[in-house]
Amino acid sequence: MNKSRYYTKTAFMGIVNNRLMSISSILTIGCCLFLFSVFLLFTLNINFIGEQIKSQCEIQAYIDMEIDGDEALAIQTEIDAIPNVKDTVFESKEKAFENYSEQLGGNSVALEGLASEDFLRNSVKITLVDLTLAQETAEQVAEVEGVAEVMNHQDTVDNVLNATTYIQSASFIIMLILMVVSLFIISNTIKLSVASRASEIHIMKFVGATNWFIRWPFIIEGVLIGLLGSLLALLVTYLGYIPLYKSVTDAFSLLKLCSPASVSGLLIPLVIAFGCFMGALASTVSTTRHLKV
Amino acid sequence: MIEFVDVTLTYPNGTKALDELSFKIERGEFVYLTGRSGAGKSSIMKLLMREENLTSGQIFVDSVEISGLARREIPYLRRSLGMVYQDFKLLPRTTVFDNVAFAMQVVGAGSKAIRKRVPEVLDQVRLSNKARCDISELSGGEQQRVSIARALVNRPTVILADEPTGNLDKIVAMDIMDTLESINKSGTTILMATHAAEIVNARPKRLLVVDDGKLTRDEEGGLYSLDE
Repeated sequence: MNKSRYYTKTAFMGIVNNRLMSISSILTIGCCLFLFSVFLLFTLNINFIGEQIKSQCEIQAYIDMEIDGDEALAIQTEIDAIPNVKDTVFESKEKAFENYSEQLGGNSVALEGLASEDFLRNSVKITLVDLTLAQETAEQVAEVEGVAEVMNHQDTVDNVLNATTYIQSASFIIMLILMVVSLFIISNTIKLSVASRASEIHIMKFVGATNWFIRWPFIIEGVLIGLLGSLLALLVTYLGYIPLYKSVTDAFSLLKLCSPASVSGLLIPLVIAFGCFMGALASTVSTTRHLKV
Repeated sequence: MIEFVDVTLTYPNGTKALDELSFKIERGEFVYLTGRSGAGKSSIMKLLMREENLTSGQIFVDSVEISGLARREIPYLRRSLGMVYQDFKLLPRTTVFDNVAFAMQVVGAGSKAIRKRVPEVLDQVRLSNKARCDISELSGGEQQRVSIARALVNRPTVILADEPTGNLDKIVAMDIMDTLESINKSGTTILMATHAAEIVNARPKRLLVVDDGKLTRDEEGGLYSLDE
């Protein structure tokens, strides 16, 4: 039997021989990794929603009521030339009226009899290269002749950026705590496994097994526990997230969550890697401490 | 082969287990190491296996000063020393063949080498017909012969036997002695720790007697009395 087959077989036997402890470890690690996944999804969605809000937080320059047609379009060209302006979209008062009616939906009857020019103005929607320079850019736009008013959503942007940063930090701390908890749980299981094989380990030592030969099966055992725990966590996470995603998408047309497919590329490898890494680390720590090899 | 030079071993609690002990064992010798319980026999075995680190002095095995070995080199020292214990230390719920093969597996031997070598050593200890038996089906003497086969399987240059007949009656003990003597005749050095005077006196060989951590006798063909 070659070494890798021996290591794998011994690791599986370790799990089977301590099956109750192994199952409880897999379940507990599964819970930890599930919480890890939830916080990861939460962070990803907060970032995603933040991006959506940021993209909607453009500067809007309202043009004087009297200015229309080519003259209004010329103002757009002038705004385009301002540094930090990434893109501009001209919104005619007719288009604005149409959008407004759409947003009101069933209540749009309130607008019946009103013509667009009665109360709306042509405007230019401006997206920026650097959102942090929004205030300066808004001032430059306001100086353009023909611009009556500039709406700058800087405060909203700042709040979104701050909230995202806080939530990211909090999630990171919680993930670190979960990491330590996982480490402790797997470590305990491996310690029991080491104890149950004490005589075998003693024999291995006196016939000349190297430290790594003794350690490898325990490391593989830890990795397997971490892997099974992470698969369990992913299963539960997706069972919860897919219906949540569908219901949020159906209920709110403006609020979008990251699609399950789009998060898979990060979530699945990260949770599996996290589980396996924790398993390997916990096993290495326990064997070093308790084998005295 | 094995040389102790002024070896002192003091345990962390202050107990002095060995006190400037010196002796030399040549290749191919069969040596008894005797003395009362607590005299220092097991400490000598532990030092040879590097289970303990000496306090002062030097120990040589095959001209290598083993107290200077790095931790990662210890497994390779142990491969050159076959160890036989009083309580056999066999894997339970495992066959005779697998118990012996295990010692080869852990040093990385391939399946082919294991299939060739294990029957050879089982034949050497007269257990060829028990290869597929579970350990629990064997008598004490047979279990000790499995333990000797396991010690032999990696072709060590020395066998360290720590009270190998301690758990066996006199007839079975003599059978084990026959096995050890036949191994010794094939060139393997044997150092056997025992306080069984009836065995030492029935099969006289070089005798080392330790008392209170000191070597009190070193005599070829010496007899041993429990009063010592």
